[in-house]
Amino acid sequence: MIAVQCKNLHAAYERNALKNGESILKGISFSLESGTKLAILGSNGSGKSTLLKAICSMIPTEGEVLLNGRDSSGMKRREIASCVSYMTQVSRIFFSYTVYETVLMGRYLYGSGLFGGVSDKDREVVENCLRRTGIFHLAKRQLSALSGGELQRTFLARTFAQEAPVLMLDEPANHLDLKVVAGMTDYLLEWSSEEGHTLIGVYHDIPLAMRLSDSLLLLKDGKLCGFGKKKELLDQGLLEDTYDFDVISYLKQQVLF
Amino acid sequence: MREKRTGLKILSAILFSVIVMILAVGLGSVSLSPGKIMAILFHKLFGRELPGGITASMVSILWDIRIPRAACAFIVGAMLSLSGAVVQSLLQNPLASSYTLGVSSGASLGAAIIIVSGITLPILNYLLLPLTGFVFGLATVLLVLFCSVRLDRNLRSHTIILFGMILSLFVNAILTMLSAAFSQHMQRLILWQMGSFSGRRWEHAGILLAICVAGTFLTCMFHRELDLMSFGEEDASSVGVDTSRSRFLLLILSSVLTGAAVCFTGVIGFIDLAAPHAVRRLFGASHRILLPMSALIGGAFLALADLLARTVLSPQEIPVGAVTALLGAPFFLWVYFGSRRRT
Repeated sequence: MIAVQCKNLHAAYERNALKNGESILKGISFSLESGTKLAILGSNGSGKSTLLKAICSMIPTEGEVLLNGRDSSGMKRREIASCVSYMTQVSRIFFSYTVYETVLMGRYLYGSGLFGGVSDKDREVVENCLRRTGIFHLAKRQLSALSGGELQRTFLARTFAQEAPVLMLDEPANHLDLKVVAGMTDYLLEWSSEEGHTLIGVYHDIPLAMRLSDSLLLLKDGKLCGFGKKKELLDQGLLEDTYDFDVISYLKQQVLF
Repeated sequence: MREKRTGLKILSAILFSVIVMILAVGLGSVSLSPGKIMAILFHKLFGRELPGGITASMVSILWDIRIPRAACAFIVGAMLSLSGAVVQSLLQNPLASSYTLGVSSGASLGAAIIIVSGITLPILNYLLLPLTGFVFGLATVLLVLFCSVRLDRNLRSHTIILFGMILSLFVNAILTMLSAAFSQHMQRLILWQMGSFSGRRWEHAGILLAICVAGTFLTCMFHRELDLMSFGEEDASSVGVDTSRSRFLLLILSSVLTGAAVCFTGVIGFIDLAAPHAVRRLFGASHRILLPMSALIGGAFLALADLLARTVLSPQEIPVGAVTALLGAPFFLWVYFGSRRRT
């Protein structure tokens, strides 16, 4: 089954820019099988985050995005959120909630009644997500009292709590120390090994991207530079083309021991 | 433990409100004890006989003057505070309130036009001035939203704040010109802009109560959307909130609440800004509790401010807007720095 498909997708942050042909994404087409682990790679400003936002209809687009075979332009926000959960690169806090309250917000779609009551299932899922991301002990802590890494894990837990089959993460390892990244990588791999789960991630850390992917989507100046199985693209030297730089040799030099 | 503490805090807030209301209806040139207040209430509501020592003028003072006035103050405080809480979360700006959207400027202009033109309509009678104020207030907000949508289809916070401020300044300028051109009405215009509950009747309280109850109920239905939208558009819509629709509905709802409050009483500042902040400090940011508690605390606070406004320099009345700021600023500092020390 195809989880996400884009056909000649153009996207920009303003509708006028799209009309004037100044789009950031320029005619992206690909289709992603359910169960894939995809890493989107490209240099700064190549349109990686824009592609994630375009897939979940957060910015003006032209062309088609199909989620589970349905055209997303005809879908309501709730329907899109039930197909795809998306963790943004930067989440800002203006008012301080507790960690538990924040993760519970991920259960928005499942609220019942006029005032969106919380069910036992919601509590169970939230506690499970808090454990999975290693922040169960912080449940009662205020967001304003968290470190950058703890905050990042809180938002990750909220994204998990949404229980959508497609998980899109924009730089999930930002602010995280190595031990936490290792833990996060393990549970992302565990989550994506479950049937029907598709993981799409934007990463700057290439070794992390390689661990968390079996397919790659390479972007350069808003255009598709390569899409397919990781090994095939690497063998063709497309990673070097994407970054205009000998990435593999550079990474080999980075090994310290 | 946490739930128990929150429960205790809610009970204390309710108790505080009840005490404030007893004081608000009991104190004044003729002071009435809680016992006398209860006796008069039972007499009016259930036809019980009045005990000795309670004169007909006491009944009239309490039933016809003080209760409607205190009720109006409480309800208006609740409406202003509630809409302040909503707008702050929607625009992710702790300094915003529905006044930021131009409601008060528009309503003031509408009221000023009625005052200086001297228009009267027998059918609407005393409702003409508030109704015109309300229509102008809402029209200003709609214009702000219309301009914002034209520029930015996603109705982002900074666009709304910018247009709200521009339009408010523009409307205020017209108001200033009107005041200058019709200087004989200047005093009435200034008094209206400072707000007052003097002479408020049961009819006013009834209309305000209906709008307040409906508005509170509808707003509380959106408590989860407000929680999510206070993190920003992207976070809210990624979880499934239709941000444009929710934002539009909530902005209109809070404008109706503020517009109705302002048009019956004039512009009363500070409550909309400070009460929701104080409640956030005391009860946390979750809108499930923040919204009803903002209404309760805002209501009690304005009832208290109005009590002081009419009693401190009695028989002269101080504009209630001045009292809210005089009383509110230190209270706000106490809540803010007090809870900061504790955390």
